[in-house]
Amino acid sequence: MLNDKIRELIEKSKLKIDSVENGTANDLQKIKSEVLGKNSEINGLMKNMRDIPAEERPAFGQMVNEARKAVEEYFAQAEAKMKQKALRDKIEKEKVDITLPYQFSCNAERGHLHPVTLVENEIIDIFKGLGFEVLAGPEIETDYYCFEALNIPKNHPARDMQDTFYITDNILLRTHTSPNQVRTMEKKKPPIKMLCPGKVFRSDDDASHSPMFHQIEGLVVDKNVTLCDLMGTLEAFAQALFDEKTKTRFRPSFFPFTEPSVEVDLTCSNCGGKGCKLCKGTGWIEVLGAGMVNPKVLETCGIDSQKYSGYAFGMGLERIAMIKYGIPNIKLFFENDVRFLKQFR
Amino acid sequence: MKALVNWLKDYVDIDVDINTLCDKLVSIGFEVEEVKYLGENIENVVTGKILKIEKHPDADKLVICQIDLGNEVTQIVTGANNIKEGDIVPVAKHGSTLPNGANIKKGKLRGVESNGMLCSGEELCITNDNYPGADVYGILILDKDTPVGVDVKPVLGLDDYLIDVGVTSNRPDCQSVLGLAREVAVAIGKPFKMPEISYVPDNSSNVSDYVNVEVSAQDLCPTYLMAAVKDVKIGESPLWMKRRLRGMGLRAISNMVDITNYVLLEMGQPMHAFDHKDILDNQIIVRRAKNNETIVPFDEKTYTLEDDVLVIADRERAVGLAGIMGGKNSGIKEDTQTVVFEAAKFKRENIRKSSRKLGIRSDSSARFEKGVNSFTTHLALKRAMQLVQQLGCGTCTGGVIDISAEKIQKNTLSFKFSRIKKLLGISVPESEVIRILSLLGIETKIENKVVTCLIPEYRDDLERDCDIIEEIIRVYGYDHIKPTLLTKSSITFGGKTEKQALVDKAKEVLVGLGCSEIITYAFFGKSSIDKLCVKQDSELYNLIRIKNPLGEEVSCMRSTLIPGMLSSLALNQSRANEKATLFEFGKAFVPEKLPLEDLPAEKETLSIGMYGNGDFFRLKAIVSILLEELGCELKVEKSDKEYLHPGVSANIYANGKFVGYFGEVHPTVAKNYEMNNTSYIAEIDFDKLAECAQHKVTYKNIAKFPAVQRDLSLVVDDEVTVGELIEAASQNVHLLEEVSLFDVYKGNQVEQGKKSVSLSFKFRSENKTLTDDEIEKQMKRILSNLQSKCNAKLR
Repeated sequence: MLNDKIRELIEKSKLKIDSVENGTANDLQKIKSEVLGKNSEINGLMKNMRDIPAEERPAFGQMVNEARKAVEEYFAQAEAKMKQKALRDKIEKEKVDITLPYQFSCNAERGHLHPVTLVENEIIDIFKGLGFEVLAGPEIETDYYCFEALNIPKNHPARDMQDTFYITDNILLRTHTSPNQVRTMEKKKPPIKMLCPGKVFRSDDDASHSPMFHQIEGLVVDKNVTLCDLMGTLEAFAQALFDEKTKTRFRPSFFPFTEPSVEVDLTCSNCGGKGCKLCKGTGWIEVLGAGMVNPKVLETCGIDSQKYSGYAFGMGLERIAMIKYGIPNIKLFFENDVRFLKQFR
Repeated sequence: MKALVNWLKDYVDIDVDINTLCDKLVSIGFEVEEVKYLGENIENVVTGKILKIEKHPDADKLVICQIDLGNEVTQIVTGANNIKEGDIVPVAKHGSTLPNGANIKKGKLRGVESNGMLCSGEELCITNDNYPGADVYGILILDKDTPVGVDVKPVLGLDDYLIDVGVTSNRPDCQSVLGLAREVAVAIGKPFKMPEISYVPDNSSNVSDYVNVEVSAQDLCPTYLMAAVKDVKIGESPLWMKRRLRGMGLRAISNMVDITNYVLLEMGQPMHAFDHKDILDNQIIVRRAKNNETIVPFDEKTYTLEDDVLVIADRERAVGLAGIMGGKNSGIKEDTQTVVFEAAKFKRENIRKSSRKLGIRSDSSARFEKGVNSFTTHLALKRAMQLVQQLGCGTCTGGVIDISAEKIQKNTLSFKFSRIKKLLGISVPESEVIRILSLLGIETKIENKVVTCLIPEYRDDLERDCDIIEEIIRVYGYDHIKPTLLTKSSITFGGKTEKQALVDKAKEVLVGLGCSEIITYAFFGKSSIDKLCVKQDSELYNLIRIKNPLGEEVSCMRSTLIPGMLSSLALNQSRANEKATLFEFGKAFVPEKLPLEDLPAEKETLSIGMYGNGDFFRLKAIVSILLEELGCELKVEKSDKEYLHPGVSANIYANGKFVGYFGEVHPTVAKNYEMNNTSYIAEIDFDKLAECAQHKVTYKNIAKFPAVQRDLSLVVDDEVTVGELIEAASQNVHLLEEVSLFDVYKGNQVEQGKKSVSLSFKFRSENKTLTDDEIEKQMKRILSNLQSKCNAKLR
């Protein structure tokens, strides 16, 4: 319990603090030493301790401490209020006439596109010339488009190939741009030549993986589309992207939505196939996955698989950019350090 | 899938070196991920016979051995005390290396020359599974019949390669040594030698004397087989089996358990060995769990089940999780007398689901998840019984309990021969097709241009013509494919949509204005919004949450691009980059309802951010020019975005429609994001802006007559904006072409709370040169507009 004297002291201190409400931060500090400092009355009370009977001392001490705490809290509030007010004042003072016309200072600097965009644009330009149209799809997808319609049923081991972020049981972040194959085939009838660039997400984050990265997907569906056409297209693409000596190699692989499926290697752009550090001495670098569209997928999309055939391919844009520019680490793409960004044109 | 090359050799003559073998496997679609030589790092270690052991003259604990190495006798000093004259031991000669990295050199031990070292099992990194006695403390004593002076690696069974092969998920049949051997045979063009798998049962007793099986959930368990072994003699497995298990990374346990592990590796079929006496009432029931039924399997934890989990039960309760984990007590023990083997096919989808749900993974569940087939299930049970007989560890009783819902048969698949060329684009000769498919065990005939294939029972993946065609080309070789460029298909129009082209244009404009493009993660934490100091009911808090995020800070799909931009600005500031002007195009996610029922709207959004290079008006210039390039006129109004400086921020109107806002980052928000430099940001709903964009350009005549310019200097209240002045001044004024500001002054020369604004007015007529009178009339109107509407006074 506080006795009246102490209560009065608290009130007095508060009044003092209030008195500098409109003052400066300096004024406030002065008051602080006055009400809480060495020579303050509260401190003085402690010195009086020896005049107090021993049995009352603990209670008295506690009382003084409480008083000190109360004043300290009040002071802290006042200080915060003053800071807020200072900020408000500052903001008020900084107000500008937003309708003023801008004046162009001579700013000779040009900005830069992100390397992923540069690579994406370059790839789109190549395929645009071959008659591919660019169609984007949603980043948040349904299980149906991302997996089921691509011949990857629920609880199928092929789902292990991609670690998926789920929103609900049936809504997820797309793990590849392939769902747009299905969306496109549902909407359009052959001939189809489609390209889909975009963000994809996998629950994977370590030195060489990023939970978000970019892919570009290609799809062709028409009469008489063959594996030779897939190789021809990819070879033309690789030669346009790197140089005309670039060679293409297919290795058998497996994707549920293509049959046959292949991994596509290109001769290393760094050493031209002689073998170097980038290609680990093999002369080849793995760049994309591809294959002939699985007739099951065509049929799911309502396309007659006896009449039409197709091919599809997909590649990672960061991977291409890393090869093309010699970028060592995928994390650099998403840090957005200007010293990184300004290197690409 | 791992396999020992010498094991593979049981089924195919591998006459190529290890590198060729790996290359050939890769060429037919089996990535070789690792090759390991078992005797890796053991060099120059040979067998030697101890001829003589003498005491060391100067050391009590050392002895001097004379060792016969076949072509020489050498002297080695050792501290070992488990050797005697006549023993044959591994000798690390001068210049040898051991798996622990040691290099052995000759030298003197207490003054006596020693030309190497005698090795223990541990020093050679082997255990009893590799060689009996290898676990003994001391020198490894080799068999008496071991030849002297030969490399020790073949003696220890270490002259072998372990290859780790990536098997794609369509080929569960290759998750076994036998299955891989089939592909090895195809790869190197050699016949596959299927081993004879059979046993001679003792028909005096029958499996049905020991166990009774009831499968009530055949949808989850299409095949369930059991066979019994009586008079079991539990003991160690033979060396060859232990070596193979050890080589594949398993530990030998006891013959019966080793047999099940061996069969799993060899055939790819998980098996379970029950101790018969633990099967209650001789009854096994394979059924769905009851809802909320509990089970305490082998790992002694309690699991509560639902009816989508398959269990192995007796009449009373579930004892094991089918295909995942056996029962607590049902396993093989030292005193086991009768063993009942289980081989089953459990549906992979169900095992996968259950194993994930319960959080239990075992070798068995991992294998079932990939898929087994009933053909192999039958074969594996037979193989286990054959091994029992071969090892002499029990008597195989007669009969097999076989509860199968699936028929084991070779399916027929036929298709037109022309399909091959149609899909591949090249012709493969008929003879090659036949040759390749027969290598793969697919009996094939081609009649009347129709290919008919008899699919092996274990190839569940071959369902359609394209599957067979893939088999043909992967063996025939992709190097036969000749590139063509869609020579037979239709012409199509390529290109981007209007919206994409508009984004490209915007990027081009922004880059020209000195902005660099960034890409940030599409997810952030809720705290990113907290730091913006918006109200609790702000729509920015309508966040779509990821169920399994990598961390709290990446758990919500972004509702705005601002946090990503602020973080990027902050990163550049923290790295002392003196300036940055950045922009990002990306999707902001707007759910209609939470939790999500349908796909959310994905709004194409543009954010711009800058510091260290210009102020609010530079950002205004960027926004204004961007809008202009898209055919929109910019109008600004005061913005009340909580995270912007209230005095230095504006809403953006494109042709009158609200599309976004820009301004200085609020000091509190800047502090929350740990930004030290005054920074400016803009966010524009690009979908909305695109709707306002005007693409059509119509030529206007260039004026023929000169313009006349008049200036006015006014004093107005500080509160009046220049925009208001210009708008007020222009009302009902004719011939006015342009109003521009050339000076704003605040200071000593004007009253406090007022400012001086100097405006320039440009008049022009399309038809004639204007006279002073005509101009004056308009200037009067302007002045009166300014006086009446803005309380402006001429200065």
